Amino acid sequence: MQDTIIENEKKKPDGKNVIDDGVEQGLAKLTPERISSVINQVLTKEVGPRFKAYVETCMRCGLCADACSIFLSNDRGPEFSPAAKVKQTILEMIKKKGNVSKKVLKDAVRISYTECNVCKRCSMYCPFGIDIAYMMLQVRRICHKLEITPLYIQDTVNSHSATMNQMWVKEDEWIDTLQWQEEDAREEFEDLRIPLDKDGADIMYSVIAPEPKFQAGLIYQTAVIMHAAGIDWTMPSFPGWDNSNMAMYTGDFEISGRIAQAHYEAAARLHVKKIVMGECGHAFRSVYDVGNRWVGWSMPPVNLIHAIDFYHDLLTSGRIKVKEKYKKTVTLHDPCNVSRGRGLHNKAREMVNILCESFIEMTPNREHNYCCGAGGGVINCGPPWKGTRMVNNREKKEQLERTGAEVLIAPCHNCHSGLEDIVEHYGIGMEVKFFGDIIYEVMEKTVYKKNNLKEG
Amino acid sequence: MKDKKMWDWETPRKEIPIKEWQDRFVWIEEPHVSCDGEKIASIVNTDEAEFNVCCNGETWDEIFEKAWSLKFLPDGRLAVLVSNDEEWTICVDGISWEKRFDYIWDLKNTPDGSFIGAAVQKEGLYGMVVNDTIWDSLYENISGTILSNQGASAAVVQVTPLGQGDIEGFSQGIFSIAVNGIAHPESFMNIWDLSFDSKGKQIASSIRKNRVDYSIIKNDALWEKNFQFSWKPEFINNNNSVIAPVRQNGKWFLFKDDMPLWDKSYEQLWKLALHEDGRKIAAIVSDAFGKWTVCENDTAWGLHFDTMISNLFYSDNGDSLIATVKNQGYWDIAVNGKSWNIRADKLWDPVVSSNNEILATRMEKDGRFYLVVNGKVYKDHFDRIFEPAISPGNDKILLKAVKNGIYSRQILTLDKVL
Ligand code: SF4
Ligand code: SF4
Ligand code: SF4
Repeated sequence: MQDTIIENEKKKPDGKNVIDDGVEQGLAKLTPERISSVINQVLTKEVGPRFKAYVETCMRCGLCADACSIFLSNDRGPEFSPAAKVKQTILEMIKKKGNVSKKVLKDAVRISYTECNVCKRCSMYCPFGIDIAYMMLQVRRICHKLEITPLYIQDTVNSHSATMNQMWVKEDEWIDTLQWQEEDAREEFEDLRIPLDKDGADIMYSVIAPEPKFQAGLIYQTAVIMHAAGIDWTMPSFPGWDNSNMAMYTGDFEISGRIAQAHYEAAARLHVKKIVMGECGHAFRSVYDVGNRWVGWSMPPVNLIHAIDFYHDLLTSGRIKVKEKYKKTVTLHDPCNVSRGRGLHNKAREMVNILCESFIEMTPNREHNYCCGAGGGVINCGPPWKGTRMVNNREKKEQLERTGAEVLIAPCHNCHSGLEDIVEHYGIGMEVKFFGDIIYEVMEKTVYKKNNLKEG
Repeated sequence: MKDKKMWDWETPRKEIPIKEWQDRFVWIEEPHVSCDGEKIASIVNTDEAEFNVCCNGETWDEIFEKAWSLKFLPDGRLAVLVSNDEEWTICVDGISWEKRFDYIWDLKNTPDGSFIGAAVQKEGLYGMVVNDTIWDSLYENISGTILSNQGASAAVVQVTPLGQGDIEGFSQGIFSIAVNGIAHPESFMNIWDLSFDSKGKQIASSIRKNRVDYSIIKNDALWEKNFQFSWKPEFINNNNSVIAPVRQNGKWFLFKDDMPLWDKSYEQLWKLALHEDGRKIAAIVSDAFGKWTVCENDTAWGLHFDTMISNLFYSDNGDSLIATVKNQGYWDIAVNGKSWNIRADKLWDPVVSSNNEILATRMEKDGRFYLVVNGKVYKDHFDRIFEPAISPGNDKILLKAVKNGIYSRQILTLDKVL
């Protein structure tokens, strides 16, 4: 794997030259019969009327093209337009009745997994509202069934399936990490707790697995915020704690459903009123829209809110008070999945204004914001694709640069990692932060209201 | 479980003040109460990195650096996971087990409390411990631990190491089922939903054979059919048969021994409930997207719930099929197709009397906790409430709750409640 990465770095970043071992090994095993049977099975048995309507409605008018930051980043290269992505992939499969070459499949993997963030921005500009992201997810579904998914994201899904978290975090490592963060945070509040499995707590807090794996400090910060706000909360010690879901993005809808099931099952078992999830966009999409619906829950069966909603409530209700506003100039990246997907952009702005002295809007913004360029599982395709991702993110980089802000708030894990890559790659002098980082820094570290019994 | 007849069903009210605990300790964690309601206990912090357990005001002799997962066993003993000098074990009524581990979690017990088990990690290897005896073989990883009613233990274990990003190795199948520490020779891509038979002798589970094919395994015998997915299987028919929810052509079916059992298919079908070894079988189903109901022997209730059904079970005599449901955002109990209509914010599964006539549970509504019996909400409200119990004569309710820092154990005659 390492050799492949070095090899790729030497070349000019062009997706067509990328060698991804997962894709290559998968393609090598395919026979023409298997290719056509899988494609036809998905096209005839799985896709709904929505799919057929889209295929028949698209006028190739190209109005969606300028909506796509990947198209813009590639000098408006026609093959990067949303409609062209469909044409090169699913339309080709339909036209050939599933009898497509491995070359077509290899292109389909590149286009659907790495040149589309399934961010749905283009749909807003299409006169018919055609959902290109949905079409790309159907391409991914086919690639998943053909076992030609990119290696890194497949490994993530393998982890999901075996451990119900995306980073192979073992059950004891998870609990141990929480207990260690709890112990550290007692330096600030001697009676602080990260209550595990507290039956009947008001709130279950869920995170994505990179937090315990690499960014345990984020759990620490949240614990301090929860404690200071006097929240009756808990975290499950058992699987279901990870709200992330890369299976939804590889096209493994079955595993995606099991992940969502485990998450809500944990909340029901703990008898909580509400789930608060950390600052992650795709995870929100997974538990609010996708995974839950695959298993048959039309809406989240347990009330679920994104951290933006939760923190907004803490700040506006006075449960968390700002000691001194954040001084550096900040800009805000609206994550597609909670902005276009959930309309949280105005609350996010209100929060920035409560927390920070100086706010500079980026343009476009709110539901029109460009994707961070990492979303939709693109960053999860890993190092082989990083070079082309940076090329595809040029437009995003320009959008960030235009703000001139010192700090970039990105309330989404994927966005966060992707934006850090952009900042580093293009040498933009910006710090990327979560809302949690800023709140932790500016909040008054006092407890809002002590429970009579001093129970945590 | 200690015979319920021996419990005090006469004294109308006993109290244990717990508010004063907060002056004795740096802080106290949420309390737990024994089945008979005679004991209330919390993990308490006594100093920096010093924890103890306080039960009815008395603390244990040993102090721990860490303690979590406090639990009353059905026989009234008190178990907790504890650590000193970076070694973990289980402490029961103040006496720690001899075996020590690098980590311990997932504390569980048999219904009578005579077996206590947990998942453990020792020197980076994983297994289970039951009544202070650790599995002979330990593995790369463990998940999905279960205990049979007789104390047999089982889990999904990783039998082959896996390098970083080794998707090829993963697809070869690196997981097996280990029963009492002995891994089955067959390994699979994924294994979930382990299920013991009623004697703890056989085991069934959901299996993923490859990227897209799922099936059910009973001991070492795989069902021949492949499915699009499956959920937890159960043994029936004197443990000779296995039933499981399976997905085919985008719909869910109930299968028995690899053959369709119910005629109808559903949008979703899971969480099987059984009575008399499968003479009655029920499941939580969705028969239209976003609409949930209960299906018994292939016939669905007329009643639907739009949010969720969390649990489903039969009363001991099988006359009542009881579901904990959520509709329009509120929790409720439904019995044999009829809802109580209590609109709770939080609700626990009810306990059922031996004559099947009384169902008692607890709920939170508007920030207050209540006892609910047969759908009637008892007049008093509390700051915290624990699982109620019904007397062996089926004429009294044991109410256990905390209000204003005082724990009370009350015996209520039925006429007071209903
Ligand atoms: S969904 Fe987003 S990334 Fe994909 S084509 Fe549309 S605008 Fe481009
Ligand atoms: S705007 Fe809509 S109709 Fe026009 S090319 Fe794009 S997807 Fe097709
Ligand atoms: S990573 Fe963030 S911006 Fe990017 S697609 Fe996800 S939510 Fe959207």
